[in-house]
Amino acid sequence: MTVYETDVPGVGRKFEYELDGDDRLVLVVHHDGKREVFRRRSAEADSEKLFELDDQQAREFGTLLEGAYFQPLDLERVQVPLGEEIIEWHDVTADSSLVGRSLSESNVRRETGTSILAVQRDGETIANPEPDFEFGAGDVVVALGTRAQHGTLADLASN
Amino acid sequence: MAEILVELGITFTALAVAGALATRANQSVIPAYILAGVVVGPNPPLSLGPIDLTLVAHRPILDVGAELGVVFLLFFLGLEFSPDRLLARPTRLFGVGATDFLVNFGAGLALAAAFGFPLLTAMFLASIVYISSSAVVTKSLVERGWIADPESDVILGTLVFEDLLIAVVLAILTAVALGGGGVGAVLVSVGRSGAFLAALAAVAVYGTPYVERLLSVEADELFLLFAVGITTLVAGEALVLGVSEAVAAFFVGTAFGQTDHDERLELVVGPTRDLFAAVFFFSIGLTTDVTAFLDVWVLLAVAVVVTSLSKLASGVLGGRVYGLSRRRSLRVGVGLVPRGEFSLVIAALATTAGASIPRTDELASFTVGYVLVMSVLGTVAMQYADGVTAFRSREH
Repeated sequence: MTVYETDVPGVGRKFEYELDGDDRLVLVVHHDGKREVFRRRSAEADSEKLFELDDQQAREFGTLLEGAYFQPLDLERVQVPLGEEIIEWHDVTADSSLVGRSLSESNVRRETGTSILAVQRDGETIANPEPDFEFGAGDVVVALGTRAQHGTLADLASN
Repeated sequence: MAEILVELGITFTALAVAGALATRANQSVIPAYILAGVVVGPNPPLSLGPIDLTLVAHRPILDVGAELGVVFLLFFLGLEFSPDRLLARPTRLFGVGATDFLVNFGAGLALAAAFGFPLLTAMFLASIVYISSSAVVTKSLVERGWIADPESDVILGTLVFEDLLIAVVLAILTAVALGGGGVGAVLVSVGRSGAFLAALAAVAVYGTPYVERLLSVEADELFLLFAVGITTLVAGEALVLGVSEAVAAFFVGTAFGQTDHDERLELVVGPTRDLFAAVFFFSIGLTTDVTAFLDVWVLLAVAVVVTSLSKLASGVLGGRVYGLSRRRSLRVGVGLVPRGEFSLVIAALATTAGASIPRTDELASFTVGYVLVMSVLGTVAMQYADGVTAFRSREH
């Protein structure tokens, strides 16, 4: 991947991203956060403006491009490796014995060996939940552990 | 107090209306701001049928605002001027910048000689026709989308070179103009000015950590006050010492631009520049007597033709030096045609120096007319260049 970065005095910064051959995507980031995206199909062609976004929109759209917000993969199988340990997401079902119990009561860490990093509930993420945090059906538990430990936690979360 | 407030209100409202009209017509706001000043100022036109148009007498408060406009225009020039950038590809950029200077400053000197201006006034005239308008050119580049194409690198590189050179020229011209008569007095003035600016430049180069700490305040409000306070204070001190306040502000901007605060400065202090720069253009309009254009129309007409062609030629040459195609090189030439704020800053300096420079009245009227024509002509030419160069590219 080749990206050319230039200062544009009085405007902001310009990035040129090489596609195939001479074809380039050109991104102009203005000082006020506005992003303009152009495409120049060949060295001699004029850049055509594709779209323009404000700072907030660009960040949101950027996560879509990155695949961070929505992955065309099954969420269950998303794994982030950290050496031996991996981070996985587990859905807490209504049948789970965790529902209605707090983090300290359920003693997830001793039972499964995993550490709970965060819980996602109704689109919000509760990072580092407190010991008195109570699990509910529909929660998504983000945990760190080995593959075997995740297996135990997955069982706990589903029944 | 009531009267001052009303006049300020008229000023800002007139600027807002003029700016809105210019934007709608797809034109630069600079000529619109000047014309707004002409319309409501104490010179003709004085009335529109029964309606009295002399709404704003020339008030001292507007002069202060205009002065701050000059200071912040140059401050931002310094802010966006990065020595690293100039040194990134020094030889090519230097080649382009030097070509631009020799051709256009030379054309200015030739013009001045043809119209019999004495040397000092000729230097001012050459500077006025030499320097392209960063504000108009950059804005047009963004609007036309040329910003994404390689010609914009050459255009912007040339602007950076011009800006640095004009800081030097301004420093010298100020020292000479304010130094008054006698070679000795001028030398003392130039020396003092050089020492002061060298000190500022040293801060800009070596003082970055201190400036960084100075500007590290959480609240935007305090940040704004620090930036505006220091810039105005240094510029004021410079003027007290007979040094160009504009160039001092340029160096303060450079010093600030070396820190990590440059983006925040754009965001927080940018509106301050926009406000006072508008007042500066407005006050130029206030002092302009459009009937005086009649006295300089021959010079004006010749200058418009000659300096448009000289910019076109130097731009095309510069583009070729940079290895651009003919089509892109032509755009470099067209892109550099607009003249604006800095031509006015130079003319304002000549007017301030007044007595020691011959034929300043003529120079002032000429500059306003010249900027009005060139800022509009340049923007329109860029619109046409799109069509012409697109046609040429289909031919190949």
